[in-house]
Amino acid sequence: MLEPFVVIENLRKSFNGNKAVNGVSFSIGKSEIFGLLGPNGAGKTTTIRILSTVLPPDSGDVKVGGHSLRKDPAAVRALIGVCPQELAFYPDLSALDNLIFFGRMVGLEGAEARSQAMAKLELMGLAERARNKVDKYSGGMKRRVNLAIALMGHPELLFLDEPTVGIDPQSRNNIYETIVGLRKNGMTVLYTTHYMEEADRLCDRVAIMDAGQIIAMDSPHNLKGQIGSPDKVTLEDVFLKLTGRSLRD
Amino acid sequence: MKRAFTVALREVRSYLQDKADLAFSLLLPIAIFALIYGAFGGQTSFSSTVPIVNEDAGAYSAQLLDRLRAMDNLDIQLLSAADANTKLNDSTLLMVTFIPPDFSTRLAASQPVQLTFKERGNGGMASQIVAAIIRGVVAEMNQSFQVQAQVKGLVAGQNIPDELIQTAVDKFVEREASAPLVEVAETTVGSKPDPVSRFLPGILTMFVLFAITLTAQTVVEERRKGTLERLLTTRLTAGQLFAGKFLSGLLRGFVQTVILLVLSYAVFQLFTPLSFLWALIIALVFAAAASALGLVIAAIARTPDQAIWISVVVTNVTVLLSGTFFTPAPGSFFDKLTHFSLNTYANDAFVAIISKGETIAAVGNELTVIAGVMVVALVISRLLFKAVPGGR
Repeated sequence: MLEPFVVIENLRKSFNGNKAVNGVSFSIGKSEIFGLLGPNGAGKTTTIRILSTVLPPDSGDVKVGGHSLRKDPAAVRALIGVCPQELAFYPDLSALDNLIFFGRMVGLEGAEARSQAMAKLELMGLAERARNKVDKYSGGMKRRVNLAIALMGHPELLFLDEPTVGIDPQSRNNIYETIVGLRKNGMTVLYTTHYMEEADRLCDRVAIMDAGQIIAMDSPHNLKGQIGSPDKVTLEDVFLKLTGRSLRD
Repeated sequence: MKRAFTVALREVRSYLQDKADLAFSLLLPIAIFALIYGAFGGQTSFSSTVPIVNEDAGAYSAQLLDRLRAMDNLDIQLLSAADANTKLNDSTLLMVTFIPPDFSTRLAASQPVQLTFKERGNGGMASQIVAAIIRGVVAEMNQSFQVQAQVKGLVAGQNIPDELIQTAVDKFVEREASAPLVEVAETTVGSKPDPVSRFLPGILTMFVLFAITLTAQTVVEERRKGTLERLLTTRLTAGQLFAGKFLSGLLRGFVQTVILLVLSYAVFQLFTPLSFLWALIIALVFAAAASALGLVIAAIARTPDQAIWISVVVTNVTVLLSGTFFTPAPGSFFDKLTHFSLNTYANDAFVAIISKGETIAAVGNELTVIAGVMVVALVISRLLFKAVPGGR
């Protein structure tokens, strides 16, 4: 594995006695795209919310770029960008104004925030409609704005929580290309999805979560190799074999 | 602090872009003001139109009309006799004053003369007041003619021209009128009996209280949009987020109040430039306290409905306890309760400036209490946000 940039140790989080995350440990190398797979309720989003400093863990710790999430969450926040599963921006503002606003929230000054915002919108193929209100955008375009916001300030670690849910193929391909490009530029990505072909295509390694625990972790190729020929089986088959049920159950 | 301003600015931009919200919040003070103006309209004393049929073309009827026209509260309307009778018959007019054709001639000859008040029924209360005013004016003229007649009698045979006697008598009467032996003084018990200055403080405080509801919804709106969680993953601290929300709530509450104050200044002339400044300062400090109270609600509300209803309850209790619209009996239980309402202090401060003409120094205690509530509310809101699930 590459030099670890994120180290997660025995992470636990319960809600009203339900163990949403139950002793999760893994590492993510620098410039790695790491996939977190699992059905709804597996604990993926809770894990991301802990890693992105939204939720405090009950126990365990996370180190991002050497900074402890428990001891220095502000230092962790300075390194991360978060693209949440739900669209999270101001629909009454333009895409450009949304990006500038969130750019300022991550510490960019006026001119820098504006130039970065335009660059990110260009990257996402939205430059032409940069000044349109986001609530007039299509679903796929909104998803791209959601991702573009997460890229403001050039974070070293990007959390992508189901970034391609319910969008058109054009927007999906744009997001794929963007993620691959980001990795080439040295960004580390933690990617959650329940689209297995997406994880297979993008991720260097994946961890399969179920009931708050990681039940398997390796490269897609090796995971598939555990149950058959990697060219013939899918990650969906791996999940079915490991848990006895489909990923979308 | 830059990020707090950016949050506030974003909030204000959203507010400005929502045309319905903007129109409602800016037009509401204007609509309320129009209601005040319609209800009181600066008509704080009696005024009336006085229909008169002047059948005399002489100098004394002109003098009578001039004296009536000189009165601020009377508007003289000259009519023909036929027109007046028609209007009396169809009740368009309830009273008309008739000046007879020989009014001036008879007065010049020191002969008695009669004005006629022609009334429909009893003419109504306004007509009776007008009749009393005219009687007063006529009595003054009468007095002048009587003195002239007496003086003419005393100096008869001394070849003194009538015009000289009349000028001397007029000056004498005028001097006597300016320094009468019996004067009437008016004193006011309680505050100035102007309904606008009486109700305006209560309306102002009501408007500032809108800041509670506006601010209470802001955090829950961020939560609903998913932006709260996103913001909390950036370098924005919870303190900066709350400072931004506080500033935007303060600004919106203050702007609405400024509209009311400016209109009151322009239309009712309730302020001097200095007292207007004092009123602005009170509005600003009160809007800040209201915004801080809104943040306390914002910190605990989980849904927009919760935020709105808690704000409505807090606002109503604050208004009811304050005695804004009625004064509780001094020393009563209710009177003691008023001390627990922020409105009481804001209302007292506005009343002192608007109705009593005091300076800002006189409302120092009230401003201190309001500012104290603001600081305490800010601290509590921050602590509550730390304690609630999903807060920080």
